[in-house]
Amino acid sequence: MEVNFRKIDIDAFDEEVLRESDLYEEDPRGPAQALDEAKQKQTAVRSSLARNDIVGALSLVLDNPPYGPHVEEAKNISLQTLLTILNTTKSTEITNVVKSLSPDAQDTLMKYLYKGMGMPGWGDISGSVLLGWHEKLTEVAGTGCIVRTMTDRRTV
Amino acid sequence: MSNVLRPYLAAVRSTLTAALTLENFSSQVVERHNKPEVEVGGSKEVLLNPLIISRNENERVLIEPSINSIRVSIKIKQADEIERILCHKFTRFMMQRAENFIVLRRKPVPGYDISFLITNTHSETMLKHKIVDFIIQFMEDVDKEISEMKLSLNARARIVAEQYLTAIAT
Repeated sequence: MEVNFRKIDIDAFDEEVLRESDLYEEDPRGPAQALDEAKQKQTAVRSSLARNDIVGALSLVLDNPPYGPHVEEAKNISLQTLLTILNTTKSTEITNVVKSLSPDAQDTLMKYLYKGMGMPGWGDISGSVLLGWHEKLTEVAGTGCIVRTMTDRRTV
Repeated sequence: MSNVLRPYLAAVRSTLTAALTLENFSSQVVERHNKPEVEVGGSKEVLLNPLIISRNENERVLIEPSINSIRVSIKIKQADEIERILCHKFTRFMMQRAENFIVLRRKPVPGYDISFLITNTHSETMLKHKIVDFIIQFMEDVDKEISEMKLSLNARARIVAEQYLTAIAT
């Protein structure tokens, strides 16, 4: 007798079933546009870093980051850009840099930190650098910042 | 606590503190059921983004929060074959007695060595900061424990080999 029908997830066919897309607004920019913007930011960040303007570079990359499922390339470039900034900052400066960021930028930075820690061995990620930033950021922004990272569906 | 380990444990501590905001939540599918949503994984809106804290490729912690439960999975440092065996035996020993540890899960999440499942009942009956302390304490001690066992194992092997070879020499 056919019993496979028992394994069908009938809840998925419900009219009021919740889809991934209902949880958050998708990134209004398409993949191509997001990639373009990420690349532009990368060059802008390089010139900021050459001027030793770390706060400016960080707020640039943390402003309006690409998010959602379709913009993987743009996300990777943004993460790469952010990591260059994190790696060049001296550990004594971190607290002041973090303090001068806006609360939104702090939340986004926290998201990137967790993303970076989630993929060790990728690019030039160094665990101790990320952990150092995480510690300073938690000191400044509190645990609320971590909670917002957990609850925000717009993953970077 | 050694200085290199401190930022790692501090990150785990703050993340756990943030994640341990649990409340009672009944199943949305079956009436009068109450299950840890992170284990059921049935509905997306009650699961939060899982977070990974890693020190390097071999040492990381995965924290999966949900509305009424969180799952903490730890990958313990294993440098060589002996440490791998010791770690396996050690975690197995504890997981077979999981009910004595209350928050311990009987099986680890794939890719990790040991997992804890903390539900809202635990956070209601126990003090939240003590639960966090327990996990941090565990992470601190497990490394120490395994390296101690490795040392005593090596010492024992040396004595055994010595005895065995003196018997042959005479």
